[in-house]
Parts: sequence; structure tokens; C-alpha cells
Amino acid sequence: MATPNQPNRIANKGLIDRRAPLRFTFDGETYHGFEGDTLASALLANGVTLTGRSFKYHRPRGILSAGSEEPNALVELRSGAHREPNTRATMIELYQGLEAQSQNRWPSLKYDLLSINGLLSPVFVAGFYYKTFMWPASFWEKLYEPLIRRAAGLGRAAEAADPDTYEKCSAFCDVLIIGAGPAGLSAALAAGRSGARVILVDENFALGGRLLGDEVKLDGLSGLDWVRQTAAELRTLPEVRVLLRTTLTGAYDSGTFSAIERVADHVPKPAPHTPRQRLWRIVAQRTIVATGATERPIVFGNNDLPGVMLASAVRIYINRFGVTPGRNAVVFTTNDDGARTAIDLHAAGARVAAIVDARPDPSAAVRKIAEATGARLISGVVTDAQGRLAVSGARIRPYNGSAIELPCDLIAVSGGFNPNVQIATHLNGKAKWDNALAAFVPGDVPKGMTVIGAAAGSFALSRCLTEGARWGASAATSTGYPADVPYVPTVADTGYDIVPLWRVKEAKHKAFIDFQNDVTSDDIALAEREGYRSVEHVKRYTTLGMATDQGRIGNVIGLAILAEITGKTISETGSTSARPPYTPVAMGALAGHHRGKYFKPTRLPPSYDWAKEKGAVFVETGLWLRPQYFPVPGESDWLETVNREVKTTREKVGVCDVSTLGKIEVHGNDAATLLDRVYINAFSSLPVGRARYGVMLRDDGLVMDDGTCARFAPDRFFMTTTTANAVKVMQHLEFCHQWLWPALDAQMMSATDQWAQYSVAGPRARDLLAKIVDPPFDISNAAFPYMAIAELTVCSGIKSRLYRLSFSGELAYEIGVPARFGDALMRRLMEAGAEYGAIPYGTEALGVMRIEKGHVGGNEINGTTTAADLGLGKMMSAKKDYIGRVLAGREGLADSKRPSLVGIRPVNRAARLRAGAHFLEKDAAATAANDHGYLTSVAFSPMAGHWIGLGLLQDGPQRHGEIIRAYDPVRGGDTLVEVVAPCFIDTEGVRLRV
Amino acid sequence: MRINCPFCGERSLDEFVIQGDASLTRPDPAAPDAAAAFYTYGYERANVAGAHKELWYHSAGCHAWLVVSRDTRSHEIASVTLAKNVALARAKASTGGV
Amino acid sequence: MSNTKLEPRSALDSAKSASRSHVEIKVLDGISVVWIAARKGQTAALVARVNELYGVSLTLNPRLASSTGGIEFLGIAPDQWLAIAPAKDSHDPASKLAGQLQGLASIADQTDARTLIRVSGAKARDTLSKGLAIDLHPRALPEGAVAVTHAAHIGVILWRPIGSDSFMLACSRSYSDSFWHWLTEAAAEHGLAVS
Repeated sequence: MATPNQPNRIANKGLIDRRAPLRFTFDGETYHGFEGDTLASALLANGVTLTGRSFKYHRPRGILSAGSEEPNALVELRSGAHREPNTRATMIELYQGLEAQSQNRWPSLKYDLLSINGLLSPVFVAGFYYKTFMWPASFWEKLYEPLIRRAAGLGRAAEAADPDTYEKCSAFCDVLIIGAGPAGLSAALAAGRSGARVILVDENFALGGRLLGDEVKLDGLSGLDWVRQTAAELRTLPEVRVLLRTTLTGAYDSGTFSAIERVADHVPKPAPHTPRQRLWRIVAQRTIVATGATERPIVFGNNDLPGVMLASAVRIYINRFGVTPGRNAVVFTTNDDGARTAIDLHAAGARVAAIVDARPDPSAAVRKIAEATGARLISGVVTDAQGRLAVSGARIRPYNGSAIELPCDLIAVSGGFNPNVQIATHLNGKAKWDNALAAFVPGDVPKGMTVIGAAAGSFALSRCLTEGARWGASAATSTGYPADVPYVPTVADTGYDIVPLWRVKEAKHKAFIDFQNDVTSDDIALAEREGYRSVEHVKRYTTLGMATDQGRIGNVIGLAILAEITGKTISETGSTSARPPYTPVAMGALAGHHRGKYFKPTRLPPSYDWAKEKGAVFVETGLWLRPQYFPVPGESDWLETVNREVKTTREKVGVCDVSTLGKIEVHGNDAATLLDRVYINAFSSLPVGRARYGVMLRDDGLVMDDGTCARFAPDRFFMTTTTANAVKVMQHLEFCHQWLWPALDAQMMSATDQWAQYSVAGPRARDLLAKIVDPPFDISNAAFPYMAIAELTVCSGIKSRLYRLSFSGELAYEIGVPARFGDALMRRLMEAGAEYGAIPYGTEALGVMRIEKGHVGGNEINGTTTAADLGLGKMMSAKKDYIGRVLAGREGLADSKRPSLVGIRPVNRAARLRAGAHFLEKDAAATAANDHGYLTSVAFSPMAGHWIGLGLLQDGPQRHGEIIRAYDPVRGGDTLVEVVAPCFIDTEGVRLRV
Repeated sequence: MRINCPFCGERSLDEFVIQGDASLTRPDPAAPDAAAAFYTYGYERANVAGAHKELWYHSAGCHAWLVVSRDTRSHEIASVTLAKNVALARAKASTGGV
Repeated sequence: MSNTKLEPRSALDSAKSASRSHVEIKVLDGISVVWIAARKGQTAALVARVNELYGVSLTLNPRLASSTGGIEFLGIAPDQWLAIAPAKDSHDPASKLAGQLQGLASIADQTDARTLIRVSGAKARDTLSKGLAIDLHPRALPEGAVAVTHAAHIGVILWRPIGSDSFMLACSRSYSDSFWHWLTEAAAEHGLAVS
């Protein structure tokens, strides 16, 4: 009867493909299963019941469930960098060559030495972290923590970076249906037929939910046939999308949901260009939650022993997978549904030793089942499972007699069902207790959401189908797709009739509530005795429900026991909140495409390819990748390169790509007025054909940004911002224009990417550019003086903008051309400049030259400085109002003692300066109270021949000539430095005007 | 959370940047108490639990500034208006409705 | 002095075009992009003037209006549009529009600021949904629709040209390389080959 080598396989049963055998290994041992198996069903088929060791006590554990709630059968899947710990064997689809390892055992699963923790269990009770390892404190790091880390925890994460790829995807629909069991399928049909856009998701790899696990008839069709027929129709509806292997992990505001699709977890290796998993963001107008219900165990002694299994899972293994998890079973139930398991076991050829009905009075249905299956019906409880590594018997106490022991290899348990209300409560909705069902059902649900079927407590199959039909149609109709309520097949419902039993008090052995975190019934009692009575406190103290199953198995039992102990009702005790994600989510799926180099997008300046050819070293500045310096053969380090670039620029001519500066077109009849209000200095007085340096403040009076602004026409300005603040300044201008002064006629558009812009600096800059500009443009100093600007053509007719601006302090220009000509212009500039010794320079030389000139940069405009602090106080117009003016006048900001911009040079000229060093008076102690400011920017100046710096020093401008200390305890620096004016070269500014 | 931009339509939160309370008015810089008024404008904020008017910027979309009426407890949005229209209406009202 | 012309270079010069049956991606060069923003109080006059000149009505919402001369006017923000014009080397649509709309609108050339990419084919929508968080279904985004949004953290303007089931995307030039990387990776699953 049984398949060779798969002793527990039942002939001719299940949705497995017996023509497609698959080989797999578990702990190195080779086994066989079939396509359609999960790892759990295949292990059971092979008679493997011991699958792992528990978290705290290293107790032997087996397979408890057949779904994503599995707390025990957690295994490491795959190997090497692909190794994934804590995967649930019940959710892993079998594939050819699958490799799995048990976890948390040493040296082997059967002989785990750390199971001694079980004997030490008094040490590991609830709150043991807080109590046991308190003293002496020094033992914590050296002894206790390493010991606990070794003993506790589950699988091992892979040591190498995740080699798989992931992606993110957005989807929109009219109706989202979560769960493809009878209720969800019925809803999908109803909504889908209307033409509405429907998304149906299910975490399983097959549609049908419980219809695959239970023997039912719908209008005479088997459950499976009805599922097949429904699936076939759904496939014909073009706007219905079915996502299998997709777990809905979270509900968020405004009808937004997250879901994880396991695209390639069921194959040995993802198909080319296919991600392993895909993170979906689904936006739905209406949502139908048809997530079903999860069976809960009963807390009795040794209820975690392999061979103790949820009753509904037993039926799923028999009917869906053709596997019988035991040959001699005891069924222990609190309701009629659990007892039905005896029928399927019996049909599968197993013996049912007894049905133990915990209700005071077993129902007629159960009596009938017992009779039909030949099982002994016992009104009573199972107090303990017996056995060491697997169930070998059950100790049963009948209500009307003394305890008996029955040999068995399987205990099928049903403590009743918990509706899966998690998704319905993610947005703070509280579930409410239903006494008749002895379960929490959804209370207030978010707008647009309806919970149906077993998830709403409607366990009867007929109700699942009719609710699906009704609410599916109603959801579609409300989104503008009128739908009829479809015909619903007739089914014969079976009863439920629960009398809850949470724990068996006569248990002799450890009795578990939360299997994954090893929380026992005694732990709850202990927590209560120690004063933890709120359900939230008990959760945190005992770690109940804090494992990766999120308490799906144990939470309700735990709080029911707490209610029992405290003498309150379950309603009064309340429940903890469920939060996303519903099941564990791989970090890689959250990152998707955005990892490593692609974590953020990279912006490339127009001369990037050219600079790469030239061997430039690049630096990330914000999102931009800019040439930092251009080494040439023979140069031994970056400083030598940068020194050459600075000297050559100052002596001959250098070219630098400054396209990364923010550029904004500001147009309109009131553009000048708007600029007057955002800059501290005036722009309405700027003549056409000129540029001006400007500083912007925030409304709190601190400097926001600086840059130049050029006027091409009375109503047409071109603003530049720093590279870092381009987006912020644009947002600020829009704010000022749209919100503060909407009556102004002003329009702005970012032009950062439109223009390739190069700084051409140095004594030969004009000679070089004379070869570039088209005649008859006159580039002479007289015709085009410092701060002049012009629109012209270059290189035989290319539209261009020329600005006589200098950041380096040399005779300098910035030349702009449309970005598509940027690469060619850079090449042309270098060719044309060859006879003058032109070189390219990078951001490093740019920085050195600005420090030599005392221009402020990002290190000084750092969000804490005023214009006056930066030596720019004189620019602040007294004739007009501007953003930041009022608060810049505050006592604290107007104080002349504030740290202000100074130049710094080492007394010993050979000494190196370090940015970040703090200023102390020469003989002052190094205390915070004596802190007088700090060095903001430093550079080696090849012109001065020593290190120079800029800093913010208390009362700085009054202290030129003073010797102070630059104190840098972190890097061990303590250097005597001289305070000087913040300009180290051409203090009169002659060179830039020649 | 999703915001229904009056120009672009409904978009996800990550396209927007929040600025804060939209009920504040930038004080008159020429007023004698301007310093105190700007201090209040710059720093003092009510931490509203409930209906709140906020300024949001559609930075990844049309660059419009928006006045969003949002319940800070439920994230439910009652209305979204172009800030420019709110500002123009306010200016009109304060000048006696020209 | 300088007599040899400067050669233009696309930000995706080396890539340009990639296709296979289900997704086709093409970088479009030689198309002019011009920003048009109505001056204060001039929206109606601007709409009338454009209508007179080009025979189309500028839309006041995110949609495009296509002129018989092949210029598309995209509504991208309140009172702002982009004109998309197939350009010949000899003419400069930005300067032409600046002249024609003087006093009614602010004009700036954006031709070089944007890389234009066309994505078409049966799997175009699936490809784009891996980075764009807006509804791309024809019911939500029919022909002629325009959306200013972002894709894979990169700002894009997206539109559906009239009479075609393709998507046009304009991303900022400096982001082109990163955008191309994301787009080709997203499309690879659907059989895209980079040529």
C-alpha cells in the first residue's frame, strides 16, 4: 500500500504528483517525496517526526501544524550564502535537491547535549534574563551573555551577503481579497465577474485553503473539483489577478497593503533575471479579508512532543498530501470539528485508539464518529503525552474514572479555532471576544475592509461561501462595477459546538503555550504572582507571542490562562496588538533593487566619461559622483596631485566641472522682488548682464545657502545654489512664492541638468576662452569685467552662457553649454588650453583654493551660523525685509562674541591641522567651559607652503594675531596656531579683476 | 498614507514632504512686536491630537504646496487644497475682500 | 578659432536601445523639451495664444494635448507645461516659443535636462510597476495621461502618447545611468536583451 521508502504515504490519495518524485536531504540523510509536497509532508511520509530542538530547553520538537503558524518545525534551508534559518518546514515546497538542516542541536538532533537546559529549567523560567544573571555584574559580559547566546536562539544566519535578488512592485485594484479558501474564492468570483479589478492573494502554493484538507461536497463536486472549476473561471477574467505563494504581511493607511511573493523559493534556483522574492505594495479601494482560522492546541503535559499535532493539520496531511502522520492515534478535542479527524484517520487505514472529548458531555456527532471509526470515546482529558523523542502513549484521565495510559504514536489535538484577525487589527482595531465561539473575532475594522468566512468567526462552509458571494459582489458594486450575488453551491455543514479548555491542570510534565519561545503554563502563573497582570506586561515578561509566529499558536491560550488565574473574563483581560509583518520578511525583500552600489541613485556630471578616461579619482558628494583629483603618472599620493592642480591653476589655467551646482531659472515681472525677499542682499538693483553673490537665511536667522544669481533680462534671473542644497532651495523658493507671497508674478524651474558648466580659472583663462567663444564676442576685461555675464555662442554656434565668476580667487569664468555638449566642450577646452598648460582639477583642489581665499563652504554653512558669523554681516541689507531678518537680530544671534570666521595657521609651519579640533586659549585647561570654537575646514596650501584652516572662533575678528591652541583629543592633536584674517592669498582681490 | 494632490491625484506619502502647521501666518516684519511674533511663529507649536491643518510639499510630483486637513490620530484626510489658493483667499479676506 | 562642431552626446550614448519580444526600450534623441509657465493672471490668454498658434488647448490637468504639427504639450503642474517637439538641428523651439509667448509665459529650454525613454510592449506595464508607485492601468492612466512622479527614487515625468500603447518617460539627465540600470533590470525578467 505505502510507497516504497515512504512508509507513511497513503496510496491513491492527495494532490501530489506521483509521477514526479523528488529527492531531498534532511540533516544529510537522503529522502524522497513528490511534487506537491511540503518539506513537512515529505518528512512525515518518510516517518521523520523529530525536526528540531526548542529555543530555551532544547526539547525535541516535531511538526505541529500544516501552515504558516508552525512554531516547531523550523529548519535551515539551503547552504552556504543561500542558507536561510528558521524557515517553516510546513511552508517549504519540496523541490529537487532540497537541502535542509535541523537547528539548535549539538552535536546531533537525537543526542543534544544542551537539552540539559531542560533539567536546569528552574533557571530558565519567565523573566530569567532579568533575575538569574544579576550578580555579580562583571560576570554578565564574560560568562552569562556568551553562555546564553550559545544556548539560546534558533538558526544560524548565513555569514556571506545574501546572493539572491529581490524586487518591489506596486499594484492597484478595486477589490483586494486576502485568502483563497472557500470564502475568498467565492468573493473573487462575485467581484471578478463584474469587471472590477480584483487581486486575490494566498500564502499557499495552491488555491482552495481548507477545501484541500477536508473531505467535502459542493453540489456533489469534491472540494478540489470546485476549486479547479473556480480557478478556471477566474483565469478567464482579464482583470482578476491571482497571486499564489504571496503572504499579505501588513495593512497600512489609506487602503495600502504589503505582501511578499515567494517567486522562486520553491525551485532549486531562481530562473534567470527572476527575483527570489517580490515585495508588493497593493493599494485597494475595498478589501475582503478571508484569511481563515488557525487551530489552537490544548496545554497538557509534554504537549510539545513530536507526534502531538493539530487535528486539522492531521486531516491536511492525509487528504492533501496523502500522508498519515500516525498509525495509532488518540484524538483530543474540545469541539466536533476536532473529532472529525478520527474519520479521516480511520479512512487512511490508521487506528484511532480513542477520542478524548474534553467537553462535559460529548455530542451526538462525536458518539457517531466514535462508533463509525471503532474508537473508544472517553469523556475526559489527556493529561500528558508520553515518550522521549516521540509520542509513545497518552495518559488520559476520564471524568468518571481513574487515569489510564493508552499506547499511541499520534495525538491529534483541537482546542478550537482562532479567526485570523491580524490583518484586520493592524491599524489599531481591537478584536472582540465571542463567548459562543470562544475566540476573538474582528471588532472595528478599517474603512473599506470587510472580514468574512472563518476569519470573521463563520466556520460553517456554507457561510463561508455565501458571505464570499455577498461581500464580493457588494465590494465590486461599491467601486463602480455593479455585481450580482452569484449562485452558491449547496453543502452539508458539520457542527463545531465548542466548550473551551485551555489547560489541563493535572499535567505532570511541562505544558507549553508558546512553543517557539518555550513559554509554559507555569510561566504565566509565575508572572502573575510576581505582579505582571496586564496582558501587555505578561507578554513582555514571559516573551509569550514574541517569536516569529507572532503568537498565532499561543497568544489566546496564554491570555485565557491569565484570565483564569486572575479571575477575570477574557474580555476584561484583553488581547495584545498584532503588528506587521504577519509572517517573517527577508530584509532583502524590503531593499529590493536598492542595495550596494544601487542603494541610492547616482548622478553623473556631463564630463564623467571623459574624467574616467583621464583616470580621475571620484568622490561621492550627495548623490553626485564628482572627480576628486586627476592623478598623473609619477605622483605618489593624493596630496602631491592636489598641490599640482592648485599650483597649475593659480599659475596657468585649470578647468573644473561645476555642473553639480544647483541651477534655477527664476522668471517673472516680480522675480527681482522675490529674490530681494529671499536673499539678505538686494537683487532688484542688479543690472542686466551682471551676476551677484547672494546669501539666503532661514526664517530663524541662520544661513541656509549661498550662491550667485545672474540677471539675463529684467524679468529673467539664473540662480545657482550649492550642490548639497539645490533641492532644498527650490522647495524654499516655491514655499515663499506659493504660500507667503502668492501675488508675486514669479515662476521657477530647475535647470541643474540642463547646463554643463565648467569653471575655467587661472591667469590664462581668458586666453583659453578666447579660442572657444565665437566672434564677435569681446571677452576683454573692459568689455567683460568681473561679474559680467552673457548669452553667446561658442565652438561655432553652440548656445552658451558665460559668467565671470571666481571661487578660486583667480581670473576665472564659468562657461555653460547645453548638457549634451558638455563632454565635447570639456575635451575642446583641454585641447585649446594645451598650449597654456591647462589641466583639469577636482573637488579637492577646488576646496583648497576656496580655503586659501577664505570663502565659506558646507563646513561653515552648517545650520548653526549666521551671516555675521561668516563675516558676511555687511551684506545684510537695512533697506528691505528678507527671510530671516527679524530673528537674525535676536540677542543671541547678534552677539559679537559668537564664534565667527577666522583664518588659522600653525605656529610651527610644519604642523598639520585637523578639521574638528577645538580652540582653547593658550594656557587654558581643556574643558568644555574653555571651548572657544573649532576648526571647520583645513587644507595644505601649496601657495603658502603649510597647512591653513578656517574656523569659527569666539570674538574671532578681534583676535587676529593671537596664538591659541587647536586641541584635538580624539586624534591626539594639540597644536599652537595663529589667528589670522580668513584669506591667505591675494587679499586685495586683484587677480580676479585683471 | 495617501494624499490626494489637487493637481496630480492620489499619491503615496513618499512623494510628499511635510512642513508643519498651516494655521500659522508669517508675522508682519515691520510691526513693533515683530521679534516676539517671529519667535512664536518660528518655535511655538501646538501638538494637536485630532484635526490639524498642515502644509505639505509635493516634492516628487508637481511641486505644489498643499494645505492638508488631517486627523493626527487616524491619518484620515478631510481635505487637500493648493496652498496658493488658500493664501490668496486669506490675503483677500484680510484686505476686506477686494 | 574653433571650426569643428561640438558633437552632442546622450547621457545613455552607449546604451540607447534594448528590445526583445515583451518589452522594448528606446532612448529618444533629437527631441526638444521646453518649459512653459504662465505669467500671473495670463493663463487664459496663454491658452488662447497657444490655441491660435498650434491649434491645441493646453490642459489645466495632468494630460497632454497634441498639435497637428507634432508638438505635445504636457500639463506638469498648475499653470505649467512641457512642450515636447521633434527638433531639427536648425531650429530652436525654446527660442521660438519664447518669442511667440512673450509676456504670457516664462520659457526655459529643458531639452538637455531630460533623457527621454520609450517603453512599450506587452510587459511594459509590469516592468514599470517595479519602480513606479502609481496606477498604470489604462483605466487610471489612459492615452494622453501625464504623471509627474518618481521611479526607483528618481524623479520622472511619464506620459501615454495618443494612439500608442507605449509609455514615455523623462528622467533628469544626471540620473540617466542609474535609471537605465533599474529599468533594464526590471525588464530583464520579461526577456529584455540590451543591444
